Amino acid sequence: MPDFTDNLKPASPGGPEILAEERRQSDVPVGELAQHLFPHHDFLGRQQRILHVLGQDPLFSKAKQMNLSRPERYQLGLARAKMLRRLADQHGWDAEDQSMSQYLCDDVSPYMVHYTMFPTTVREQGDEKQRAYWMPKIQAGEVVGCYAQTELGHGSNVRGLECQARWDPKTQEFELHSPTLTASKWWNGTLGRTANHAIVVAQLLLPKSPGSTEYANHGPHPFIVQIRDMKTHKPLTGIAVGDIGPKYGYAPMDNGYMLFDHFRIPHSAMLSNYSRVDPNTCTYSRPANPAVVYGSLTAVRASIIMHARLVMARAVTIAVRYTSIRRQFQDRDNNDKSAPELSVLDYPTVQIRILPLLATAFALHYTGAAMQALYANTRAQIDKGDFSKLAVLHAQSSGLKSLCTELAANSIETCRRAMGGHGFGGGSGFIQLNNDYLSKPTVEGDNWMITQQTASYLIKRMSSAVANKGKSQDEVEQTCRDWLSNEHNSNISPLSIFDSDEQLVQAFHRRSRDLTYRAYVEREVKKRSWNSLLIQLRKVSHAESQSILVTNFHIALNDSKSSPSPALKGHLQTLFRLFAYYTMDAEARDFVKANAVSDEDLDMLPGKIQELMAQIRPHAVKLVDSWMIPDFLLDSALGRSDGKVYEDLFHRAHRLNPLNEITFNPYYKSDEIVMGQGSDELKKIMAKL
Amino acid sequence: MSTPQWVRALKPGSPQGSELLEQERSNSNVNVDALSHFLFTKEGIARKQRVLKVLQSEKVFDKSQNYFAGRIDRFETALARAKKLRQLAVRNGWTQDDRLTANELISEPGPYGLHESMFLITLRDQGNAEQHEKFLRPAEEYKYIGCYAQTELGHGSNVRGLETTATWNADDKTFTIHSPTLTASKWWIGSLGRTANHAVVMAQLIVNGKSLGPHPFVIQIRDMKTHEPLENIHVGDIGPKFGYNTMDNGFLLFNNFKVPHISMLARFSSVDPKTNKYSRPSSPSLIYGTLTWVRSTIVMQAGGVLARGVTIATRYCAVRRQFQDRDAPEWEKGENQVLNYTTVQIRLLPLLATTFALHFTGKGMMALYAASQKKMSQDVGKVGAPERGPGPEETHSGSDLLADLHATSCGLKSLASYTAVEGLEVCRRACGGHGYSSFSGIGPWYADYLPTATWEGDNYMLTQQVARYLLKSARSVLKGNEATNDTTAILSNFLSRQDTGAAFDILGNDSELVAAFAWRAAFLTFEALKHRDEQKKPWNSLLVDFYRLSRAHSQYMVVKNFYETLQASPDSSDGLDPETLGLMHKLFRLYALHTLEAEASEFYTSSAVTVRQIQLARTNAVMKLLEELRPHAVRLVDSWGFPDWQLDSSLGRYDGKVYEDMFHRASELNPLNRVTVDPYPDSPTLFKKNEASALKSKL
Repeated sequence: MPDFTDNLKPASPGGPEILAEERRQSDVPVGELAQHLFPHHDFLGRQQRILHVLGQDPLFSKAKQMNLSRPERYQLGLARAKMLRRLADQHGWDAEDQSMSQYLCDDVSPYMVHYTMFPTTVREQGDEKQRAYWMPKIQAGEVVGCYAQTELGHGSNVRGLECQARWDPKTQEFELHSPTLTASKWWNGTLGRTANHAIVVAQLLLPKSPGSTEYANHGPHPFIVQIRDMKTHKPLTGIAVGDIGPKYGYAPMDNGYMLFDHFRIPHSAMLSNYSRVDPNTCTYSRPANPAVVYGSLTAVRASIIMHARLVMARAVTIAVRYTSIRRQFQDRDNNDKSAPELSVLDYPTVQIRILPLLATAFALHYTGAAMQALYANTRAQIDKGDFSKLAVLHAQSSGLKSLCTELAANSIETCRRAMGGHGFGGGSGFIQLNNDYLSKPTVEGDNWMITQQTASYLIKRMSSAVANKGKSQDEVEQTCRDWLSNEHNSNISPLSIFDSDEQLVQAFHRRSRDLTYRAYVEREVKKRSWNSLLIQLRKVSHAESQSILVTNFHIALNDSKSSPSPALKGHLQTLFRLFAYYTMDAEARDFVKANAVSDEDLDMLPGKIQELMAQIRPHAVKLVDSWMIPDFLLDSALGRSDGKVYEDLFHRAHRLNPLNEITFNPYYKSDEIVMGQGSDELKKIMAKL
Repeated sequence: MSTPQWVRALKPGSPQGSELLEQERSNSNVNVDALSHFLFTKEGIARKQRVLKVLQSEKVFDKSQNYFAGRIDRFETALARAKKLRQLAVRNGWTQDDRLTANELISEPGPYGLHESMFLITLRDQGNAEQHEKFLRPAEEYKYIGCYAQTELGHGSNVRGLETTATWNADDKTFTIHSPTLTASKWWIGSLGRTANHAVVMAQLIVNGKSLGPHPFVIQIRDMKTHEPLENIHVGDIGPKFGYNTMDNGFLLFNNFKVPHISMLARFSSVDPKTNKYSRPSSPSLIYGTLTWVRSTIVMQAGGVLARGVTIATRYCAVRRQFQDRDAPEWEKGENQVLNYTTVQIRLLPLLATTFALHFTGKGMMALYAASQKKMSQDVGKVGAPERGPGPEETHSGSDLLADLHATSCGLKSLASYTAVEGLEVCRRACGGHGYSSFSGIGPWYADYLPTATWEGDNYMLTQQVARYLLKSARSVLKGNEATNDTTAILSNFLSRQDTGAAFDILGNDSELVAAFAWRAAFLTFEALKHRDEQKKPWNSLLVDFYRLSRAHSQYMVVKNFYETLQASPDSSDGLDPETLGLMHKLFRLYALHTLEAEASEFYTSSAVTVRQIQLARTNAVMKLLEELRPHAVRLVDSWGFPDWQLDSSLGRYDGKVYEDMFHRASELNPLNRVTVDPYPDSPTLFKKNEASALKSKL
């Protein structure tokens, strides 16, 4: 319905004018930078092509989804998941196209686990026969599967799982059983309402000999199990399964629970590529090499980091655009009282929250790319059974996953708050992003827990380096030896971090080795208990990850293959230094203790950081433009590329808001809730409670 | 879907959560009741129990479906609850404190929220007698239901930038209220979207073509019968948000809408209808007084808000077990309680200490506020009397208690709400994967609390006010003026000892620990002054320094209030037994040393402490405190006395039945499980059996 608001314009200067001016006065080569960031697999072309398809279907419109209840969100998610699959068939999308369509749809799919962990596990853990039987059914969408490992009482510690798979030599079956309530599978995506099959990880119990009633536990193993009827989709007898209820985010995903009551499955259910049970002798043969599992886990973590950088870029894109447009207060030092209000991004208190995150998105990018490249390069060695490189990569990947997802999760919230009040609103584009992404620091290994893996690895290598016998086992040990012979010395002079980027990188390295060594002394020399060292170990892991991030950033800038144009390189170098200085400033004391940086230089850091931010400020809008995040994905009034912030906020509130279609009765003496409906509405509400 | 018998019979793996919590409680001798009394007084606790009983007996307050419903259902339920609450308040003759307690227990923002707070307060404070009669009385009877419309789409903290105008028409003695642009739309206004029929609207007053700044107007916006918007008023709800979805935050636009002369709230400033002359506000300080009070409550609430998260996380981490201790002997087979991990302790126990620190600080501020109000009424005769002159920021900074409190309250509000927000997320993550479930009770609570970090002044913007005040005080001290309040006292002390230096015994003496915080704040004040006055640095380039300065000063205030509350305890009637008091002192030290360690470089640069001391604080003192406090953690959170009904959390249940409750909610209360799905991509059917209404119409 047209009304007087249709003719209103925002106060001048408008967002579009401001963004046009921001873009005019910066020399950042957006096209070149975009190519630099996305050089592989025609990422940008693909983004355009898929976006065009999704943009045409109203099912993918996000306009009202925030108003829906949980069951409605799941229903919408399922409808979208089906549609994406049908579109893939129709347009002949390849795997990359499909993952692009998921990324742009930007809503978790109830099929997600069916596309990821489920087939990956069958492929990697199933033997040839199992693969041949299951994979075609999975690809056809007949078998819809999930991966059920975590339990109500048990997460990261897989050995603590309670669900049992007991071999019955008489009937030649396994009996799946949940002895307690805490044995219930829990959190497993796609399980709650969608899947008809599940990979169930259970403790394998075998009779000590074929006739024995005594059982031995061989640890957790994967089984593929049908859980629902293929026609009615009802749970099979002996299985209780359902959705675990609403979460902080991930509304369309049916994370589930599942319990087994002496449920029988055939011998062929146990995935047997690496470990198997001989049905006749009840003997168990061991996995050939558990390191194979690390391989895919490492690849998953590299892709988590690549995803984290896009999430950060997305948050920063919104933040930079809106804070350029948003004005508040005049400059106190400006004597002209009629001067326009300052752009919020001109405030150093706003810059210090946003611009280091912009730099961090680049830092994550180069490390994620380096990990993917390294993984691809070591694949050949892995296939030959040489896992030495992989071990290093795996150990580093734990710490990096922890640090990078935490940086990304925190960046969303930091950017959201820098928006002022509008950051809390549905039009900010931060709400669902925050809700969905916040699961990351606790999934695939809790961030605090997995830093132990990185630290433990580093301490081991340092121990060998101290023992100094024979050749170094790997490059990390070599760097420990180098540090011990050259830098482990209280007389060594601090590095000149402002004169040379190489020395800046070296400072991070020296600090990381110093922390590794200190942890080594505490644990191996002073024999302190592991538990009392956990906090320190986390620092060790973070220091190593920060050193890796800085190193990869620096290498990428000086890599002759991808050499950026001089104009671009200048900007990237500024971002590099901002990331390094900012990270250093937050951890300053470590750098002093390691003799890596002088007190005088550390005192100068805050000033240097502010200078760098002032250099980046005029280019901020174009730097975020280069990440090429489409408006469709941003779904943000504040972050629109055309700057029509206020028009869009108003449009969403006024035209797209179903609450405004209802007139309520506000007077407390009346039990009527909706005007003109008497007390019926109250009865309906009470019925739901 | 009915739950099969074999599922009902299942128990969680041993040991049971209830046993673990029982054991925790028997391992500690903290006197929970005494500590509760010390925090809330006996009357406060009795009130909570009395009101809770009433609420629990009304079905409309049942919380079991809160986490599942969509926006519209949530709002409707919230409106039904607001009405019932008002009916109960009238029927039971509830006092203001009773009503606040009820709101706390229900723990969701309600559609009457802004009517009951800002609307009534503004009418009372800024209206004259005639306006009290015309507006306040029907408002108190809930015939007029109102809101407070200040913020606009394009304008927040900077009130002077508001675009809505109120132009005086000399010919017919009316004001024309108008929104000249889209950014002039009122925005974010609580209770406005669907509920209110009146609004206090802040608009730029224009008389004779002259703009006189923002002033409040009372305006009817909806029809009293049909509740439809009046003509030339456009009003509605702004849509779903991060949290606060039970509140109808609204937008409001005027198209040359005329209101009578009486609409302008005229206690302090008015337009004479005969002469068309405008007379100025006499005392803006009254408004500062209200703001100061509001900020003190935010500080105190922040303690309780955080305590909810800490209660849930602490209890759950005592029940949850993961991995065996690497160094544990062979015979100790079971998994370790997560609360035994130092990486968990270092996150939760300092936050536990923080809850008390913030609570006592808020209490201290409110006492100071009451004292300054009393003093002012003695000094001048009447609060806000015209002869009192300009507001506190314009008076001599060193001479006024309220000025001191007002300026410092900005910083404390910023620090406290920031700390609570950050802390809640830390608690949520400390719960591991289950923290992400709504049933943890932390996520939804966090989402509703979040806006506190940006309202009543953005936390970063506010810190400028503190810095400005501290600089002024420092200039006054440099001139040789005598110290008249705490701020000038610590600045003078710093000046007098600046050259002899300070070696505070932070590890051995609690009062020296407080002094170290004062020293650091004073040091940063004079540093900032040097940058501004001697080096003439632009204000804008110093904002980050100012933020740090404000933070340092606020942390000093918190440490000081915590310390002084404990010092005063033996003399108070609610005083603590020596053992519990001893534990509280440990919590004090943990808060102070943990903060000191996190801000180590500032303490070190200001020469308040040596690097060696910081190192000892981290490696020895803090770790030792964690170990000493660990056995008492559960009882300490118990003393906050949150009823399970209020927490609405599986993980934080008092009885430790974490897993039973998680399972019950998922399996029995979850409406999604009443739906059977068709999962196959090629079939267009979504739900084979579908109790939900058609989705299409809602998209």
